[in-house]
Amino acid sequence: MQGNDRYQQEEGKRMTLKRRWKLIPLLALAAVTAAVAAVGASASSAAGTPIKIGVLSDCQGAFGSFDNQDLSGVDAAMVQLAGAKVKNPSVPRDGWTGASIDGHPLNLVGVGCSNDKADTAIKETKRLMEQLGADIMIGPLSGDESIAVANYAKQHPTKTFVNGSAGAQDTTLKVQAPNFFRFNGDGAQWNAGLGDLAYNKLHWKTAAVIADDYSFAWTSAAGFIADFCGAGGNVTKRVFPPLNTTDYSSYAQQLPTNVDGTFVAVGGAGLIPFLKAYEQAHGPIDGKKFMGNLFWGTPGEFQQLGNRVAGAYVGGSGTAGDLNTAAAKAWASFYAKTFKAIPPFGAPTGQQASVFTYSYYANTVGLLKGLMAVKGDISGGQKALQDAIGKVTWNAPYGPIKLDANRNAVTNVYYQQLYVGKDGKLAIKTVGEVPNVDQTFGGTFSHATPPPGRTFPPCTKKALPWQGKEITPPVIGG
Amino acid sequence: MRRLPALTVDRGIGGLVLVFAVVAPFLVPQFWTANLLTQTLILGIVAASLIFLSAYGGMVSLAQVSIYGIAGFVVGNLTTNGNTKGLNLGWNPWWGVVLGIVIATIVAILFGALSSRSTGIYFLMITLTFAVIANYFFGQVTDLSGFGGISGIPAPKQIGPVDAHPWRLYYVCFGVALVLYALMRYVVRTPFGISLQGVRDDPVRMSSLGYNVRLHRTIAFAFGGFVAACGGVLFVWWNQHIDPASIQLSAVIDVLVIAVIGGLFRLEAAWLGAFVFVVLNNYVQRLGFWSLSTRFGTVIGLVFLAIVILSPGGLMGIWERLLSLAGRRRSQTPTAQAPLESGTVEPSV
Repeated sequence: MQGNDRYQQEEGKRMTLKRRWKLIPLLALAAVTAAVAAVGASASSAAGTPIKIGVLSDCQGAFGSFDNQDLSGVDAAMVQLAGAKVKNPSVPRDGWTGASIDGHPLNLVGVGCSNDKADTAIKETKRLMEQLGADIMIGPLSGDESIAVANYAKQHPTKTFVNGSAGAQDTTLKVQAPNFFRFNGDGAQWNAGLGDLAYNKLHWKTAAVIADDYSFAWTSAAGFIADFCGAGGNVTKRVFPPLNTTDYSSYAQQLPTNVDGTFVAVGGAGLIPFLKAYEQAHGPIDGKKFMGNLFWGTPGEFQQLGNRVAGAYVGGSGTAGDLNTAAAKAWASFYAKTFKAIPPFGAPTGQQASVFTYSYYANTVGLLKGLMAVKGDISGGQKALQDAIGKVTWNAPYGPIKLDANRNAVTNVYYQQLYVGKDGKLAIKTVGEVPNVDQTFGGTFSHATPPPGRTFPPCTKKALPWQGKEITPPVIGG
Repeated sequence: MRRLPALTVDRGIGGLVLVFAVVAPFLVPQFWTANLLTQTLILGIVAASLIFLSAYGGMVSLAQVSIYGIAGFVVGNLTTNGNTKGLNLGWNPWWGVVLGIVIATIVAILFGALSSRSTGIYFLMITLTFAVIANYFFGQVTDLSGFGGISGIPAPKQIGPVDAHPWRLYYVCFGVALVLYALMRYVVRTPFGISLQGVRDDPVRMSSLGYNVRLHRTIAFAFGGFVAACGGVLFVWWNQHIDPASIQLSAVIDVLVIAVIGGLFRLEAAWLGAFVFVVLNNYVQRLGFWSLSTRFGTVIGLVFLAIVILSPGGLMGIWERLLSLAGRRRSQTPTAQAPLESGTVEPSV
């Protein structure tokens, strides 16, 4: 019996011990719950609250191949300012790890895959913001998408949106969402100085314009028209082929030959078919009588235009890969060190100046500088953060960037010229810089004016702030 | 009597789905209500208009998405107020509803009259042409839209702002879907609906019996257009944006896919197909985020292929087959004697 009693006592002790062990997880759970409750009570500003970031890129459609360039820009900014590590240096789309601002981790919750259509951009934005719960979104890539996203942003004032690389004018000038920020220029800004160059240096008196029939190309052409007509030139014909046209012959035939030059804002895939159609309609192309928008200078792609376009001037996208300044060179070497490859283009060298890489980069830097100013505190409906982002000024690789009252960048823009290099292949060099270009073109564009379109802006002479003030920037190789 | 158990199960499940739809906003995350379920209801309405025409009129129409788009563009042009493309007339959103549906239905009458003489592949081609025309019309007529489309389309005050009160639009969509479903069920039981099914089965005989086959087809098409137009109005309230890409060929195919995977012979299949389509479209991309990267489109395609190969009648076909299997097993047991009378309630194509 005694033995039995002892056994029971020991068994009882063991049970108590077991019960105590069982209590430990419960206690731990209680402690964690209390901690979580305490954190919750002190609002989301408490140190360490993660900030969820979504990125909206295009992985399909006309710009789908630049998907990794887009993400490389975002990743680079995260590495540079938030101590992140790139997950896979050969696939920027995989994102980053370990980014934080003042102890607040910056977590990538998802990368949206759009296709340059506004409709898809909205669906993907909803997925990122509402399903994956992002606090902040970086993107989108293209014009029409950004107008739709800015409208979406207006309906969601407690979230913050910074642009990706979109360049439609309406996005900021018309929609004016207080929580949508753009640290890159619009398509019109990117062509500033070209018209002045055409009129005053190349002595064009008349010009024809051909542009795709949609927001970005209208904006792009509007920049040239406002500049050229502002200087005193006359645009005698405007032709607008529908987006995704494959046969340009009827449009090429509409273009007059009795003009001094032609400005071409036909996008990516349509450009080469257009040049062929023009040759068939009017004979060989004289590069010096042409100007193009950024699609004439897309790194890795412009060579396909062939030597026939040598001599043509190209409106850029606020970037200049051959700029010989400390900031530009530092950016190029940092980018080359951070990534091993940018699929499908291969080695990163040169891709730091792509409109997609640089614009996504500049916008992410703008966001991170805003986050740093508020020490990562996004409480209070992100109001403080949004105020801070609006005030960011920054000496970017290609010149200073600040935001105007509509939260659109005031930035330097560059124009380039195509030439035949020593190897007999088409090459490009930066030949002009226009400092501090703003979106309004000295009042030509405003919230009250119609958006750029088939007939707007009209061709009128007007003094522009930068007329005659363009400079020749220092470039690598002279 | 033989149909009774199946009907009871059908109705039971239908009832459960309705109850779920009513309480869903309280059960599921807001993203589900605001996006997936609302989108399911809207796409289901458009697909139902296609299934109505196909199942009861023998017309597989590819123009439903363009009619729904026309309603959407009318609403967009009439009710937006500055800052976007289009006419920006800034009218009361309810005027948008009325005119959107009326104009889209008038266009549907025209489309219907033009295509009423064709059948089969020719009908498919004519309606495909309508779809392409509508897409390019809104792309190129920049006064009405342009490729960028119309953004910031408001819902009426009583419903919107949609982002702040997503459940209101959800219930509106639910109510409209329910009413339209009941209306379609009613129409197929009217003398018009019965003769329409006669036209579907044997137009020559119906014609020789004195029925105006073309008029029947035109009216059916117009009614299908009316249903699609209601979906179009809800779509622009939900999406707050419409552009030609919303009605381009891939969107037309999306609705066709929804109807086919749901099952082209029953109206309910439209919403089932839409639900599967919307959820798959959304979640496959999420699952594929790391492993499949951007190849989610292929995965979705393969799943749809599997559904269609395994069940030519779509998901509803699988359901019907299960029911008939269960029925057969029951009929083999001595307690459930199979009565002699039979007959299908639902027509099939």
